[in-house]
Amino acid sequence: MKRLIGSVTLLLLICCYLWSCEKDDLCPDSTPTTPSLIIRFYNADNHAALKKVDNLKVFMEGSDTITLGTVDSIALPLRTDVTATRWALQYNRASSSTPGTFISDTDIIEFKYTTREAYVSRACGYKVMFTLDEGTNANPNPVVTDVPEETHLWIDEFTIENKNIENENKAHVKIYF
Amino acid sequence: MLRSIFSFLLLLSFSAFSQTGSKPLPVATVKDTLAPVPVPADRYGLRVGIDAYRLARSFFDDGYRGIELVGDYRLTKKIYAAAELGNLKYTVDDTQLNFTTSGSYLKVGFDYNAYTNWLDMENMIYIGARYGFANFSQRLNSYKVYQNSTIGNATPTNTPTNYLDEVTVQADRNYSGLSAHWLELVGGAKAELFDNLFLGVSVRLNVLITDKKPADFDNLYIPGFNRTYDGNFGVGLNYTLSYFIPLYKKQATKADDKKEAKK
Repeated sequence: MKRLIGSVTLLLLICCYLWSCEKDDLCPDSTPTTPSLIIRFYNADNHAALKKVDNLKVFMEGSDTITLGTVDSIALPLRTDVTATRWALQYNRASSSTPGTFISDTDIIEFKYTTREAYVSRACGYKVMFTLDEGTNANPNPVVTDVPEETHLWIDEFTIENKNIENENKAHVKIYF
Repeated sequence: MLRSIFSFLLLLSFSAFSQTGSKPLPVATVKDTLAPVPVPADRYGLRVGIDAYRLARSFFDDGYRGIELVGDYRLTKKIYAAAELGNLKYTVDDTQLNFTTSGSYLKVGFDYNAYTNWLDMENMIYIGARYGFANFSQRLNSYKVYQNSTIGNATPTNTPTNYLDEVTVQADRNYSGLSAHWLELVGGAKAELFDNLFLGVSVRLNVLITDKKPADFDNLYIPGFNRTYDGNFGVGLNYTLSYFIPLYKKQATKADDKKEAKK
């Protein structure tokens, strides 16, 4: 009888334990979810050398501007509900003639892609992965354009290194300037 | 809500145990001193009932419509064949996912009554085991795309916030023809309230053996098994009202009595 009470109590305790600790209710940071697009910046004169962009700021047209500082790589989120995302990259070069001021140059880079979703877990739900469209002469991808008030592009060249955006381990796009 | 019901049941079951602890002593002494009293015959038969918990929840919870019929048949003095048959349609609204599970399940197994009754009482405190099987479908109503769209690194003064708005997709996808098999360890009690009318409570620890998962989704809830966790474990309970249909009577055998005395 004592053994029975013991085992039933144990059963109740295990049930209680399972009930109360719902470990899988929060999506852990370590779980790979929707990846961002990784861009690395290289020297236009020496394609092997990374080059830092001075005082880089990024924004989507109509949204807040994010100051990233002087960096040689960035991770930009792509919109999952449409198949093209436009990011403005603002390069702020220190002026050599007037110290302490910056000459800003903004280029808009548009990425076109297809999306596909994948189930992750109860807590994380679904993630979306992207495949960048193959650039052709008729339909280049990505497209770099200037903002209307400027006439100079600071981005010289770009290459798609990896059109499948499934993780954030390696650069997907290289930009030379 | 669930948790409070559960702790209430827990209390209830513990209070039931406390009564049984002091029981066997008087029986033994009486037997020694008095002339043998005619032992009343045990009644055998079928007990059928309904789970009041699922019934009540169907009333109060808009996303829940469930019914469970229970039955047991007394095989020997202590062993009962037992089964549960249920149907469920339940919409789960999680942070990232909203889905509806619907289907039917059947559990079969046995209960072992470990409670020594006084005279002609027929109460039970039992442990048991079940094999469970469910046939069901999942409808993924909607989901949110999990996207960390923060840009830049966090600084002591500034934590980046998500740059993009959260995207909710109205998927409305149906996955049918799913199934699951599992085992249950059951612990519970049944008490006779009035003539032949029993009130029962049981808790279950479930172990999933195998399930057929939908492509690009998961069985997050299985009718009968309930919510699935990271491991293969699950928990369940029921709170039953059942009616005993007596079929025949049988005198307890000498062998049974001897076993009693040993305890």
